[in-house]
This record gives sequence, C-alpha cells and structure tokens, in this order.
Amino acid sequence: MTTTPDTGSALAISHVSKVFNKGNENEVIALSDVNLDVHTGEFISLIGPSGCGKSTLLRVIGDLTGFDSGSVQVSGKSPEDARKDRLYGIAFQQAALFDWRTVSKNIELPLELAGWDKSKREARSAELLDMVQLSEFGNHRPWELSGGMQQRVAIARSLAVDPPLLLMDEPFGALDEMTRERMQNELLRIRLDTGKTIVFVTHSIPEAVYLSDRVVVMSPRPGRITAEINVDLGERTETTRESDHFFHCVTSVREALRLHDTSRTSASSFRGEV
Amino acid sequence: MASTRGRVSKGFVSFLWALAGVLLIAIMWELTKILGTLIDLPFNTSDQAMPHIWTMFSAFTMPEVRGSETTVFQAVLSAATYSLMLALGGFVIGVSVGLLLAIIMQRFLFFERGLLPFVIASQTVPLIALAPLIVGIGNQISFGPIQWSTTYSVMFIAAYLAFFPLSIGALRGLQAPSATSLELMRSYAATNNKVLWKLRFPASIPYLVPALKVSAAAAVVGTVVAEISTGVRGGIGRLMVEYARETTAQPAKVYVAVFGAIMLGLVVTAAITAIDVLLTRNLPKKGLA
Repeated sequence: MTTTPDTGSALAISHVSKVFNKGNENEVIALSDVNLDVHTGEFISLIGPSGCGKSTLLRVIGDLTGFDSGSVQVSGKSPEDARKDRLYGIAFQQAALFDWRTVSKNIELPLELAGWDKSKREARSAELLDMVQLSEFGNHRPWELSGGMQQRVAIARSLAVDPPLLLMDEPFGALDEMTRERMQNELLRIRLDTGKTIVFVTHSIPEAVYLSDRVVVMSPRPGRITAEINVDLGERTETTRESDHFFHCVTSVREALRLHDTSRTSASSFRGEV
Repeated sequence: MASTRGRVSKGFVSFLWALAGVLLIAIMWELTKILGTLIDLPFNTSDQAMPHIWTMFSAFTMPEVRGSETTVFQAVLSAATYSLMLALGGFVIGVSVGLLLAIIMQRFLFFERGLLPFVIASQTVPLIALAPLIVGIGNQISFGPIQWSTTYSVMFIAAYLAFFPLSIGALRGLQAPSATSLELMRSYAATNNKVLWKLRFPASIPYLVPALKVSAAAAVVGTVVAEISTGVRGGIGRLMVEYARETTAQPAKVYVAVFGAIMLGLVVTAAITAIDVLLTRNLPKKGLA
C-alpha cells in the first residue's frame, strides 16, 4: 500500500467462518464472517488476544486447517491448490528445524520435496544463508545456534522455493526484546529485497505497527476482524520507533483492541449462530 | 576436541567401575564360602555347589571331555557363536517385523486400535508353552526341497520376543514429531512416504535406540531359552544344560558356560552401543528432545 505498488490480489478472503467442535457443547466459533483482501507485496499483521482466531485464519490460508463456509483465494487459487503448488512459505514461533540435518540441509528440505536437484539446492541454500547473514553456519547443527539464528534459518527455509506469499505465526514470539527488534529490521530488509506478500500473526502491538502496511485487529468469541488500521510510516529507520507517528499508530491499534475487549463481558457473543 | 577427550576418559572411568563391580561379586562369592564354614547358612557353600573362582578359571582350559583336544572354553566359545548367529537372525526378523508393524500402526489409526492389543497380548503367552507348539507346527512346513529346521523355530521364538519392544518404541518414535513439524511438511505438500522418510524416521531415532537395546537383549534371552526348550544342539543354552548335569564330576564347568552366556550378552550390547553412536552422532547430546 505504501512502499509497494498495487499489482493485484495476493489473498482474497470473503465471509469465511469456522467452528470448532460443531454441535458439541464445547462449540467455539473460531472465525465468524471474516473478510480480508491483501494486495501483492503488502505486509499485513493479524493482531488480537488469545483465541481471536488469528492463528486459525493463518492456518486456513495455508490449508493447514479447513473452514466451514465462505471462500479463500490465494493468488487466485484455492488454499489446497496453492499449498500443493507451493505458493507460500511458512514460519512458526518454534523454528522447528530438524536436529539431524545441518543448517544448509534444513533450508534445502523444501527444495528436496519440490524435486530440485542437488547442485541447484546447494546454490539456493547458500544464497539464502547469505541473505539471512549466516553464511558461515551452513554446516552447523541447528541446536548449536542461538534462538534468533535458528529463527533466521527458519525464515530462510520459508523463502526457499521463492513463494510469493509468506505466512508467519508469531515467529519472533520466543525471542528476547533486543533480538526481536533486530529480527524485525532484518525481516523488513528481506521483504524489500524480495517483494513478498507477508501475513504476520503477532500479539505485540509495536511489532505489528513497525512491520506492517496494515494492521488487522481481531477479537475473540466469535473470532472476527474488528478493525483495520493503515500504518503509513514510510521507510523504517532507527528513529521510527521513537516517532510521534509511530506512537500514534500504536495508540490507534491499542484502542481498537480495547474497544472490543469490553465485549468479552457480554454473554451473547460467547455462543452465536453461524 | 576437549569434549571428545572428556568422553573417552569418562568411558574409561565407567569401565573401571564395571571391573570393580565384577571384583566385588568375586570377593563376596569367596567371602560367602568362608562364612559357610563358620556358621550354618541356609544354602550349600561346598566346593561342589559353589566352586572357587580360581577353580572356575582353571575349568576354562580343561579338555571338554576326557582326552579331547578342545578345551571347555573353546567349546563354550563355539556354542556362544552359534547362539549369537541364531539370536542375530531372530533379532533381524524381529526388528523388521516390529518396524513394519509400527509403520502400519502409525499410518492407520484403524490398525493402531486393532493391532496394538494383539501385539501386547502376544507377550503374555508364556514362552515355554509356545516353544513346543512352534516346533510342532514348524516340522510340518516345507517349501519344496527346503525343510523347516528346529533352528528356525529358535529364531522364530527369539524374533517373537524381540519384535515387541521395538514395535512399541518405534511407534512412539514415529508419533514423536511435533505438530509444527508436521504442519511444515504439509505446507511443503510432502506425501505420506516423504513425511515418514524425512521426518518420522529420523525423529524416531532417540526412541528407536533404547528399543533396539531391549530387543537385542530379548533376542538373546529368547534364543537361549528356546534352545533349552526345543533341545536344539550346538548353542550355549543346550551346553549349559549338559554341563549342569556334570556338576558332580566337574562343578566348575557349568560356570564357564555361564561366562559364555554373559559374553554373548556383552557382545550384543557392544554392537548395539556402536549402532547407537552411529545413529545419534548428529543429534544433540542429551536425552529425548
């Protein structure tokens, strides 16, 4: 929206609903009538308290879970087709690197599964290691790396097949604050280099504001989108986090979150109908 | 480098401890014999029932039968080698079957539900009851010129004991990958076979190795017991029975066979430890992740 031109729809979600334990007394409306459009090259964050469905929405996009009604289009395809065509890369809070593989081999895993030959795989993993500034660590084992470095490997892995879309589920959630800010800058640099569309789940307001073109605020019971806040911070610099405009955006998101926090007390939203 | 040296010296220390343990048993053995001459113990401590340690060692070099060229130790060694081969055969069959069952049970919940109770129940059948049955059925089997041999029955029994710990351990191992790892594989559009090969198998190694140890021990015990109950000649099990009958004349002889059985166990344990080192060389040096 801000730094990248609008070149088409990366993601179109309309009227998507999903219910866990349907018909059961533990029935939970995970997603209720969710509508979201993401442009190619856009960086959006999904933010909200636990149980607001932000991770579920990400999983729906990635076809890691199904949905009950509505439609989802990832680069014009169904989530299942998009997954099978390897149109997205994903990173989780746990780096989930395989201990028995070297760092390079971990990055090569999606390439192996996509049927790349050895020399191409090795060239690609070297390139990606360079991008995440871990060139010297290719032959290390994942467990020899710090948490931040492991997460950088996980990001490199998610970029391996060069998918147009990146899905990130609180990838920096387990990192300390300093590492976290460094990783945020690194992610923005990677985004600038690659022009990926990124859907980023977080529960940190400053993180969402700093990274995104648009912050999508969600609220639980039922899980739904309650606000969308455009962040127009321009190019991020060292002083961005201290600027008034940054604080202004943080405040807007915080207020949007608080507004719907009060709805938690209303019993009617606890169990609605689909 | 430092850590390697650390591990070697640690290995040496544990070797010394093991040696001290063996010495302690020998000393207690002799002390018990001395105590038996002083007070009335509820068991027989005569040289007939409890030969001196040095008598046992001298029995190693005795001729196996009067006037024969082979010593008792040589006879025990060849019997132990024979049993080792049978145990190995049983182990390989048991591990293969166990692994196959684990893969089937992991892949199809239906089979886990249906098969697991039978797998567990299989181990509650007493081996002694099973052995004659297997020999009896086996003797009626022939594939053209190939006749069922009683040694196959021994291997079958060894395999029967060995498959169980492995299939249970492997099943747990194959189910070990985290939900995140599995979602990752799904996001790569990996087929079930690829998930098995690239994720579940390697992730199961920390569970597989202890299971292999238990299975190997079970295969050895199964072989020795099966040799005795099926009457197969040539192995250490049969030799122990034969030597035990000679205790009146040569009380120390049977202990050489016991040493042979212990050695058999040690060789198998060493082999599995080597496999352990090989399989886990790339994994973090800690317990289960």
